[in-house]
Amino acid sequence: MAIYSFYIFDRHTECIYTRRWTPRPMSSSGKSGRPQSGSSITSNGDSVPPTRKALSKEDDAKLIFGLVFSLRNMVQKLGGEDDTFLSYRTAEYKLHYYETPTRMKFVMLTDTKQNNLRVALHQIWANLFVEYVVKNPLAPVEHPGGIGVANELFERGLDAFVTAVLPS
Amino acid sequence: MVVFALFIISKAGGLIYNREFHSGLTKLTSNDYLMLAGSFHGMHAITKQLCPVPAAAINPTSGVPSLAPSPFTSRPSGIEVLESSHFRIQCFQTLTGTKFLLFTEPQQPNVDSVLRRIYELYSDYVMKNPFYTVEMPIRCEKFDRSLDGFVKVRS
Repeated sequence: MAIYSFYIFDRHTECIYTRRWTPRPMSSSGKSGRPQSGSSITSNGDSVPPTRKALSKEDDAKLIFGLVFSLRNMVQKLGGEDDTFLSYRTAEYKLHYYETPTRMKFVMLTDTKQNNLRVALHQIWANLFVEYVVKNPLAPVEHPGGIGVANELFERGLDAFVTAVLPS
Repeated sequence: MVVFALFIISKAGGLIYNREFHSGLTKLTSNDYLMLAGSFHGMHAITKQLCPVPAAAINPTSGVPSLAPSPFTSRPSGIEVLESSHFRIQCFQTLTGTKFLLFTEPQQPNVDSVLRRIYELYSDYVMKNPFYTVEMPIRCEKFDRSLDGFVKVRS
């Protein structure tokens, strides 16, 4: 079992917390030291498949938000108002989704063998986010730019939770 | 086994076939279905981009590498299964980019084999139909009938 990344979005569509457990692949990040595909041919004569432009972390988060937002709307359109989007899977990874009643969205990317993590995401919200972020008297009510979310207790709790509940 | 509906989306993202077998999904206008198919096409492309690990790391070629390099680069696949609390979408993309979406109950086993069979029916009755133009809406009576037969027998 592997966990790739974890995102929290607030109700203003902003990504307020990101956590990655694996570095982005060198081939698709475009930040690798080797020359770009357009400028040269690789040694074995293979033409390099056109790699996408480098996406920063923020771009990735925006893409994920847009994606889960549209998927959620599509699911509600087809299944009715009380239907909720849970997860999707591709051949490479699986995305789990949990939305709180206040429209905070918790998203986790894992490998494909993972069962549905909706319960785990709910626990992260209830036991970690509410305890360490919402109940923190110094944190603002909302978290523009992620202020107050990435505090030490929350990060440590998240690490402990991930290693305890989802052993790799 | 409950199969709610089947969508076929062309490689350009247009809805070319839409069939409901079992009520359970909200009825939408045909315009809404077209929009849904188009947005699914886009989301499918985005899910390919979001791949967090290189595809080679997950599907390492077993044993010794073959001498001739494969002409097909291993590309990340898009959405294969989408789960919601009321239904489940299984997506099968052919090599030419046509997508088959099957809407079933959430706990439904062996959906991919059903989808393969539907693909077979599609190649037999749609692609071999001399009056069918590719990328156009599918109006083949024989396809409809065999699909009905297949899905009804399974349910």
